[in-house]
Amino acid sequence: MLVRFWGTRGSLPVAQTASTIQAKIARALVAAGGRAFADEAEAAAFAKGALDFATFGGYGGASSCVEIEGADGAFMVCDMGSGLREFGIDSFRRIAGGHPPVYHFFLSHLHWDHIMGFPFFGPAFNPAATIVIHSGHPDAETALRRQQEEISFPVPFDWLRATFQFVVHKPGEPFQAAGLTVTLEGQLHSHESFGFRFEKAGRSVIYSTDSEHKAEHMDAEAKFEAFFRGADLVICDTMYSLGDTVSLKQDWGHSSNVVAVDLCLAAGAKRLALFHHEPTYTDADIQRMAAETVRYEELVRDGRPPLEVICAYDGLEIAV
Amino acid sequence: MGWSVAKGDGRLVASATGRVDETTWEDFSTNLNAAVGDAAAAGLPLVLDLSGVDYMSSRGLRALTLAKREAGEATAITLAAPNDRMREILAISRYDKLFKVVDSVDADV
Repeated sequence: MLVRFWGTRGSLPVAQTASTIQAKIARALVAAGGRAFADEAEAAAFAKGALDFATFGGYGGASSCVEIEGADGAFMVCDMGSGLREFGIDSFRRIAGGHPPVYHFFLSHLHWDHIMGFPFFGPAFNPAATIVIHSGHPDAETALRRQQEEISFPVPFDWLRATFQFVVHKPGEPFQAAGLTVTLEGQLHSHESFGFRFEKAGRSVIYSTDSEHKAEHMDAEAKFEAFFRGADLVICDTMYSLGDTVSLKQDWGHSSNVVAVDLCLAAGAKRLALFHHEPTYTDADIQRMAAETVRYEELVRDGRPPLEVICAYDGLEIAV
Repeated sequence: MGWSVAKGDGRLVASATGRVDETTWEDFSTNLNAAVGDAAAAGLPLVLDLSGVDYMSSRGLRALTLAKREAGEATAITLAAPNDRMREILAISRYDKLFKVVDSVDADV
């Protein structure tokens, strides 16, 4: 399987401002120290080696959308955040190359940041396309139709030309989707959310976002350790610090980098992708959070197999 | 994980030893909440001596939160003498913003 991140930001998409980009350029020029470069390729090579990711790159600002490549003749996509628009455009390119126009979506929940990309999902207008929407929520279709009602959007759902199928699944009951075995798990979030476990040929990927793990219910975390068990990659909500989740942002429905590491270590997972980044965080803030998470894993590993910590960003691809 | 409680110099000092993680947090939490009750009954602040704690994962940290909620405004809880590893964990989790952290159990609380 290949996991491709089209949107990694939580709650609200964000865009870089001119001042942010100007600050990155200024840092790069200082780092260059007056060097001369023959061309942009040489300058890019220097920048890649000399600058941190927050300066030379950035984590992006599209809201949740993650593709899992590797199914049999279908696109597999977790959530329909604003990153879905770019995925839709890219899928046209791949369909032109022979990929079947079949899409399976897996919705963690129906909050706006997780479905806002759908009205801009071009393949929904393709009469040859089949779109299957898997969810734990029986009101998934209502949510998608409602956001395209006239008061919110000029194009009603009924104008879409693809063939749609909405499928509601129960937690703990595995099902097959285009050659992948998929299992849901209920999560604590407003109007509930669901995590997904995808398995194929002995490999497994977990998508667990918008999931709060409360201090009052720590005995319930064994359920998530079992759900994450032995996963090759866990994509996990790490929006806040642990301190925030037990104080100001308690009951906001999100988890922390620290809890994500603990769950993954206890589950024997191999890699953790930090995900659903706080929209007020700068690239430097996210980079700092990622470095702290790597360090925390070292501090609490205690002889267990190492957990590789990766910070997801828009455009990242991870082979599983 | 080991646990002991002693009264001294206008405070109740609870001392934990070992690691507090997903295998030990329940005992730690039970003992800590009991110490909160004892401190409240005696009208004393509670100092948690962390000098013997190897490290604490999120379960242990959140047990601190539960104890703080149990203590309310009546009983102050201070974390004392964390080792370097624990200091880093308190900083990464931002628990050093939620609890007073001092260098020794004898420090002002």
